[in-house]
Amino acid sequence: MIDRRRFLRAAGAGTALLTMPQFLVGCAKHGASTLPAVTPENPFLAWFGIDEAMLRRVMAELTSRGATHADAYFQHVRNNSIVMEDGIISRASSNIEQGVGLRVVVGDQVGFAFTEDLTEAAMVAAARTAAAIASGSPGSRPEKFAYRGDERSYYKIAVPWSEVGVDKKLPRIQKAEALARANDPSIKKVTIYWTDSEERVLVVNREGRIATDQRPMSQLYVSVTAEKNGVTQSNGSNLAGRRGFASLDDAALAKVTKEAVDRTLVLFDAKRPPAGELPVILAAGASGILLHEAIGHGLEADFNRKGTSIYSKLIGQKIAPDFVTIVDDALLDSERGALNVDDEGNDTERTVLVENGVLRSYLHDQISADHYKLKPTGSGRRESYRHAPLPRMRCTFMTNGPHAREEVIAAVKGTGIIAETFTNGQVQIGAGDYTFYIKNGWLVEDGKVTAPIKDVNIIGNGPESLKRITMAANDSKLDTGGWTCGKDGQGVPVSQGLPTVLVSKMTVGGENA
Amino acid sequence: MRKELLSTAGGAVEAAKRAGAKDAWAAVSRSREVSYELRNGKLEKVQDSTSRGLMIRLFVDGRYSAHATTDLRPDQLRLFVENGVAITRAMQPDPHRRLADRALYPTVLPALQLDDGKVGKLERDTRLAWLNAMNERVAGAPKVISATSSVDDTTSVVAAASSNGFQHAYETTNIGYSTSITLDDGDKRPEDWMGAWARHVDALPPVAGIADEALRLTRARLGMTKGPTLRTTMIVDARAAGSLIGRLLGPASAASVQQERSFWRGKLGKAMVSSKLSVVDDPLIPRALGSRPFDGEGIAAARLPLIEGGVFKSLYVDTYYGQKLGVKPTTGGGSNRVVALGTRNRDALVAAAKDGVYVTSWLGGNMDPTTGDFSLGARGHLIEGGAIGAAIGEMNVTGNIVDLFGRLVELGNDPWKFSSTLAPTLVFEGVQFSGK
Repeated sequence: MIDRRRFLRAAGAGTALLTMPQFLVGCAKHGASTLPAVTPENPFLAWFGIDEAMLRRVMAELTSRGATHADAYFQHVRNNSIVMEDGIISRASSNIEQGVGLRVVVGDQVGFAFTEDLTEAAMVAAARTAAAIASGSPGSRPEKFAYRGDERSYYKIAVPWSEVGVDKKLPRIQKAEALARANDPSIKKVTIYWTDSEERVLVVNREGRIATDQRPMSQLYVSVTAEKNGVTQSNGSNLAGRRGFASLDDAALAKVTKEAVDRTLVLFDAKRPPAGELPVILAAGASGILLHEAIGHGLEADFNRKGTSIYSKLIGQKIAPDFVTIVDDALLDSERGALNVDDEGNDTERTVLVENGVLRSYLHDQISADHYKLKPTGSGRRESYRHAPLPRMRCTFMTNGPHAREEVIAAVKGTGIIAETFTNGQVQIGAGDYTFYIKNGWLVEDGKVTAPIKDVNIIGNGPESLKRITMAANDSKLDTGGWTCGKDGQGVPVSQGLPTVLVSKMTVGGENA
Repeated sequence: MRKELLSTAGGAVEAAKRAGAKDAWAAVSRSREVSYELRNGKLEKVQDSTSRGLMIRLFVDGRYSAHATTDLRPDQLRLFVENGVAITRAMQPDPHRRLADRALYPTVLPALQLDDGKVGKLERDTRLAWLNAMNERVAGAPKVISATSSVDDTTSVVAAASSNGFQHAYETTNIGYSTSITLDDGDKRPEDWMGAWARHVDALPPVAGIADEALRLTRARLGMTKGPTLRTTMIVDARAAGSLIGRLLGPASAASVQQERSFWRGKLGKAMVSSKLSVVDDPLIPRALGSRPFDGEGIAAARLPLIEGGVFKSLYVDTYYGQKLGVKPTTGGGSNRVVALGTRNRDALVAAAKDGVYVTSWLGGNMDPTTGDFSLGARGHLIEGGAIGAAIGEMNVTGNIVDLFGRLVELGNDPWKFSSTLAPTLVFEGVQFSGK
C-alpha cells in the first residue's frame, strides 16, 4: 500500500524495523541464457551493456555542478521462489531488477536519481537530475578507472544459482515437505517456501574506483499448522544465508523442518507469562535481536551526526559491564549479513562497537565518515539501485562471556523467562525504546525451566538494558533465521548473534489474571 | 502513456501464447517518484526517478507461475516470457489455477478521480516553498535537535491485459508532506511527527498546521516515564487505530482460512466482536488513497462488507483460494477500509473514560494470525480525571485480538483521513498493560 509505505517513511525518522521474511508474493528462477556471462578482463561492464566511455560521460554529468562525493551503483538481481502448498508445487515466481542509482553528495546533502534504462542518454539525464542538489562549478571527475582488485569473497559458491535448474530444486522441496509431515500425526498443513537469488553490483565513484561484487542468497522457510482437540496452532522456521544449492543438504532440511514442527507443537502447551518487569534470559543465537534494536541502530552514524540518537554523546564511555564486547562484522563466511564490499564501493571490515563495556565506534558510511573525519567502516548499504545508501548493520553479535548457560538459568530468582525465537523488533532511535517479539520461550521459576510461553512482546530502553546485563555465557552463536532490517523504507539482509545472556529486568508483555 | 503500456502488456500476453501458454495476465506500470527533504533549514535530499516494470502470470498445461522484470527491451522481454513459460512447464499441475472469470472484469472503469494533473507538474520552487514554510514554524523552537520536513509525490500509470479479454489502464497520483521532530530532553530525545497525504494537491491541509502539530505532539512527549502494569480502559488515537483494524482483518482472507492460519475460519455469519464495530472495504470512494477501479486480478471494484454490527460478513477471496474453498471470489486484497463512526470526538471520549491509558502510537509487537494472540509495544499518555495527562511509554498491550474487539465500547467521530484505513478513536475496556 502506498500510504502505508509513506506512513513508514514519515515514521522512519525515528524508528527502524527488523523482520522475518514475508513470503506472500514470490520471485523465482529463470535461465541464465538471456544475459552474457561476466568476462574476466572486463568484469560486469559488458554484462550491464556499458563501457568506460559511457561511465566517463555519466560521471562527468554527475559532477557537473560540483560534489564532495559521487557514485553510480549498477545492480542486477534475479530472485526465484517456489512454493509447495497442500502437497503441490504450483507456484513459482521470478523477479528481475536491473538499474543504476546515481548519487551526488555535497557535504551532508544528497541528490539521487535512478534509471532502469541503461542507455547513455537515460543515464546522463538521471545524472543531471541528481546533480541538481549541487550549485557549484564542475568538480573533479574520473578520466581513468581502476578496479578495486580481486579481494577474497566471503560467499563464493561452487555453482551459481543461475545454473541450478528448477528440476534440481523440486526434489529438495518435496523432501523438506515429507520430512516435516512425518514428524507428527497432528500436522495438518506444511508449506515450503524456497527462495534463491543472485545479485551483481558494480559501483563507480568520483575517483574512478570500480568495485564489483556477486552476492548469492538462499532461504528455505517451513511453515507448519497442526491441530489437537479442536485447537489450531501454526509456526515455522527459516534457514537463510549467502549459500548455494549444496548447502541445502539432507541434514539442513532435517534440521529446519524439525525446528518448524517443534516450535509449532510446543504452542499447544504454551501460556502467557505474567505482565510486568521480569528477569529475562536471552537464549544463544537469535536473541542477538536485543543488540540489533537496543544498540545497533543507535550506533548508525547518520543518527549520531544529526544528534538524534540516544548514543550520540557516549563514545569512549562505559555503557555495559566489562564482559560485554559487541561487534558488527561483514567478514563472516556465508552469513546473510556478510559483505565483500559495501554499496558505496568501500572495503568492509569487522567493526568493534563496544569493547569490554566501552563504546568504541559508530557504523559509518561515506557521508558520516567525512563528517567525523574518519575512515568509513564499510557500512554504507542500500536495498537496491532505487535507493541512496545509509549506514547499516551487517552481522551484529556479542562475543563469549565468562559464564556457563546452566549458571545463567540457575541465577534467576523468583519468576523469569527465557526468550528463544523471535519474529520482529523495532526501536525509537531518540528515546532509545526498543521492542522485540518472542514467539517461543520458557518460564523460569527459581532457576528451573518450568513451562513453555508464547506471543510476548518485550519492551525496554537500550542504554538501561545494556547496563542490566548481569551474566553472559560462553556459547555465542549466530542465528541463520534470515533477518531483514528495515530503515527509511529500505530492507537489507542482516545477521545477529548472542551468547546466553541474563538481563536483570525487562518489561514483559504478559497477562495477569 | 496508457496506450504504450497497454500495448506492452498486450504484447507480453501474445508472446506468452506464442510460447505455448494457454492463458496469461500481464500488468505494466510506470511511475515517477519525487522526494525532497529539508533538515534544520538545509535541503538535505532530493530524489527524482522514473521506474517501470512488467509482471506476467502464466498458465501452461494446467500449471502456473508468475514473473516480473524491469528490463522492458523488446528482445529481452520476449526471452523473459519464453523462459517463464519453460519454468511453468516444470511445475506440477494444479486444477485450481486459472484467470479470473471474465464476467467479473469491469466493462467501463468508474470515474474515481485518482489522479491530479497538478502533481506531475509541481515545480521545484513550490516544493521548496512548502518545506521552508514548514521549517519556519519549528526552526529555533526551544529544545529542537532536529526538524526534518519532506514532500513526496508519485505519478503512476498501470495497464493490464489478459488472454481472456481484460484490457484497462488507469492513472494515479499521490502527494504528501510531513514534519518529524527530535527534542532534547536530558538523556532522552523524544520524537514524533505529523503528515498529510492525498491523491489531489488541493485536498491537503496547509503546511503550517502540519509542522505546528508535529511540534505540539513532540513537546507532549517531554518528561515521558514508564507506563504502569494494570488492566484499564484503553483509548486508541485515530492515527494508531488503523493498524489495530489491520491486524484484526489481516487473516480475513480465503488464503489464510484455506491454509488454516486464521482465527476467522468457520466464523462467517457469526457475531465475533462488539456490535459497535462495522467495517466495509470500499474501493469506490472518489479520490481516496485506497481506491481502485479493479484489483490485482482484474476483478471490478465493489463494496465488500467485512463486519456488520460485530458479525463477520465476508472474506477477501481471490480466484485461486476461492477455487480451493469452493466459494465465489470477492477480491484478493483490501482497498479502503471504512470503519463506522460514533458520535463523539476524542476529547469527549477521554472525559467520559475518566481514567485509563490513551495510546498514540505502537512500537513493534506482533500477532499470531491463527489464534489472534497479540502483544504490542505502546506509548501515549495517562488519562487522569477525564483529561489527557502525563506522557508514558515503554509498555506493552497484550491479549487476543478477537477478545480485544469484544471489549470495544465506543468509537469516535474523528477518522484519521490520511490512510486507506479510515478509523476513528477507539475505546476498549479492561485491557492488559505491562510496564513497571
